[in-house]
Amino acid sequence: MATAPKIDVGGDYKEKYGFFVPEDYVFKAKRGLNPEIVKEISWMKGEPEWMTKMRLRSLEIFRKKPMPTWGADLSVIDFENIFYYLKASDKQSKSWEELPPDIKATYDRLGVPEAERKFLAGVSAQYESEVVYHSLQEKLSQQGVIFTDTDSALRDHPELFKEYFGTVIPPADNKFSALNTAVWSGGSFIYVPKGVKVDIPLQAYFRINAENMGQFERTLIICDEGSFVHYIEGCTAPIYTTDSLHSAVVEIIVKKNARCRYTTIQNWSTNVFNLVTKRAMAYADATMEWVDGNLGSQITMKYPSVYLMEPGAKGDVLSVAFAGKGQHQDAGGKMIHVAPNTTSTITSKSISKAGGRTSYRGHIKIYPGANNCKSFVKCDALLLDDESRSDTYPYNDVDAENVTLGHEATVSKVSDEQLFYLMSRGIPRAEAETMIVNGFIEPFTKELPLEYAVELNRLIQLEMEGSVG
Amino acid sequence: MAITSETLDQLQGEPRWLQDVRRKALEAYDRLPPPSKTDEEWRRTDVSRFDPSQFSKLEHRNGQKLVLPSALPRGVILKPLRQAAEEHPELVEPRLFSLVHADRDRFAALHAAFFTGGTFLYVPDGVEIDTPVIGQHFSHEGGTSVLPHTLIVAGTGSRFNYLDEYIAEDDTETGYRTGSTEIFLGDGAQVGYVAVQKWGRNVWHFADQRAELQKDSTLRLFNVTLGGKFSKNRVEASLAGEGANAELKAIYFASGEQFFDFHTLQDHRVGNTRSDLLFKGALSDSARTVYAGLIRIEKHAARSDAYQANRNLVLSDKARATSIPMLEIDNNDVRCTHGATVGPVDPEHLFYLRSRGIPEATAKRMLIQGFFGDVLDRIPFEHARRLVEAELEARIG
Repeated sequence: MATAPKIDVGGDYKEKYGFFVPEDYVFKAKRGLNPEIVKEISWMKGEPEWMTKMRLRSLEIFRKKPMPTWGADLSVIDFENIFYYLKASDKQSKSWEELPPDIKATYDRLGVPEAERKFLAGVSAQYESEVVYHSLQEKLSQQGVIFTDTDSALRDHPELFKEYFGTVIPPADNKFSALNTAVWSGGSFIYVPKGVKVDIPLQAYFRINAENMGQFERTLIICDEGSFVHYIEGCTAPIYTTDSLHSAVVEIIVKKNARCRYTTIQNWSTNVFNLVTKRAMAYADATMEWVDGNLGSQITMKYPSVYLMEPGAKGDVLSVAFAGKGQHQDAGGKMIHVAPNTTSTITSKSISKAGGRTSYRGHIKIYPGANNCKSFVKCDALLLDDESRSDTYPYNDVDAENVTLGHEATVSKVSDEQLFYLMSRGIPRAEAETMIVNGFIEPFTKELPLEYAVELNRLIQLEMEGSVG
Repeated sequence: MAITSETLDQLQGEPRWLQDVRRKALEAYDRLPPPSKTDEEWRRTDVSRFDPSQFSKLEHRNGQKLVLPSALPRGVILKPLRQAAEEHPELVEPRLFSLVHADRDRFAALHAAFFTGGTFLYVPDGVEIDTPVIGQHFSHEGGTSVLPHTLIVAGTGSRFNYLDEYIAEDDTETGYRTGSTEIFLGDGAQVGYVAVQKWGRNVWHFADQRAELQKDSTLRLFNVTLGGKFSKNRVEASLAGEGANAELKAIYFASGEQFFDFHTLQDHRVGNTRSDLLFKGALSDSARTVYAGLIRIEKHAARSDAYQANRNLVLSDKARATSIPMLEIDNNDVRCTHGATVGPVDPEHLFYLRSRGIPEATAKRMLIQGFFGDVLDRIPFEHARRLVEAELEARIG
């Protein structure tokens, strides 16, 4: 958890979570961003020529695109003062024992191997820019499932990779997807073959651990026809004094009758700018579900989206945002109905406290010809004190026939009646408030695997301790 | 209209201060850029083909028909706005375009520079008027500009109802039309305001209705939009005194190729204020509507209660409704809810009625009437309610 009871992480974060380990890097590119650095990254990785060219082209696009003028204030980001590539160890580890000791120490505190031993399918933990630890259960290999880091995938599965990379989110999509395509490193690559159902969630941890370290992971998930996979992305980061930039791109292709669920618990320390593009394409009768929790970072701008490409496709976004002191969570979801008879829902729950700001920003677009679509958006916001702020910006564009569209939102504080009820039964005020907040986000927590749900409840408790007025 | 200061010469004999207001507005018009497609307010609203210079003749410069209550209480001033500007500058000058700012955008500037007709109503402290005051704004010919402006000042504890009717004599005429209103509610004032826009189906219409509510005042505003090939309407309430209560309701019925745009604002500037907004519209043929509303609760506006809903009934395959309800909440001790729906007639409701032997066309009509029914009940006074019901009846057919 990046945030402590007082959201100002600079204070007691280190003692509480203290994941900080001394920097010890095999390769550290120079600060700043120019074609030489991009070429160097590509050369270091031994990439094919097409990828080097794509990176350079994306860098040009990044240079040309203006900064977004909406959403959070991004003017403080200094792109020239960031390391765009680090490699913490020069070789992929096959087992936990082979990991460098300081990295191991960090993960031990996160409980990664513990979790793996219990029931995880594979761990692909990202320490800095590249996946250093990776394992895959034999059963999955036999099923033909590929679960690897994205750099290895480019090397080992070049055809599959080239067919899909950058097709869901082209470099020119937005300024930050261009940046990511230019300097991406690490991330997860998953391919699930036809009809294969992966019955245990696949997960990877992402870490940032160098001052001014930009992390630009790139995730690509392909669910072939009739398959199912649940991928979990969790983040945590140590303390830093200057701002860090995290700008990931996640592309997902969900083919006919397949289902993909992507769960995120974003919990960067509160000096990180988290600007992420996440998008899925869902084909006939496919289901895409984003379960997206944003707790950390200074500024998050993230709107997981689903392009509903063929009839029967279904998109679902369940989003939770928690903003404390100095934080702005600008999150939401986008549903782009390209085909008729497609359905989508967005449920957003946000909590603001100690001067934090949460904004729901969403877009429902129904293209001409995408008739008989249904879309429903529900946003609930809880304001815990009178310094905090909540906004709702739902944009809806309907250009098709016989469309049913609904939007509902409420903003409120912890209700006095609920508090009174709990307190009259002898529950102290602080505990009662925590219970109410946990109840508020319950639709989210109940979708999480058990250990995440437990962790999230604990985090909320920490945030709430003695802090709600 | 030819957008030059010569056009202003059509409006001779006005006091100096008003000439200055108009000249400044014209300067603002020249200075302000046309709306850009990247501007959120205008992204879905196309004004590129609006050319005011086609409509250079200003119609009814000398006010409009006022339906006066038989006897107005003492101290009440009810006059054409231009006449009031001359006779009561101390009341008009500080208020005119102080809520509806002339430099807000090109269209507000154009309206302020060339407004012609319009009404000034001043109701002194403690005065109540039982019968509604009615301002009827007629357009008599096509190709002209008809730009009425209503300015209403409600004194402390006053109570009255006012109706603005925008009426076309010929439903097919082209032209440039506006109908803006500024309402000032003093402490404890109770004002019912209804605007019924039924211009011809080929005109461009721009209107800004904005009210400022002081302590414990109540505004019941009802907007009816039926006419125009293009209608852009901003309805805004600024809750400036504790205990203020604004009810903002509207209905619209768009058919043919009509395009209606509504932007609303419920601005809770102080605490203990209440606003309740409901905009309901039906669309048929290839009509299009855009609704975008914002509830803003400012930092110290604790214990505010705001509600906002936009409901669209889409009656044909080609009609399109866009609805964007927004919230910006800066205080936690509030209750704030909004909702928006866009959808066709509920097939289950239709099935229910048809299964009881009601023909489809009749059943559909009943459902449309039912859709509007709950909001029609909120029209603040009887005369306006009957008028609106008759207009709607004629259109639902």
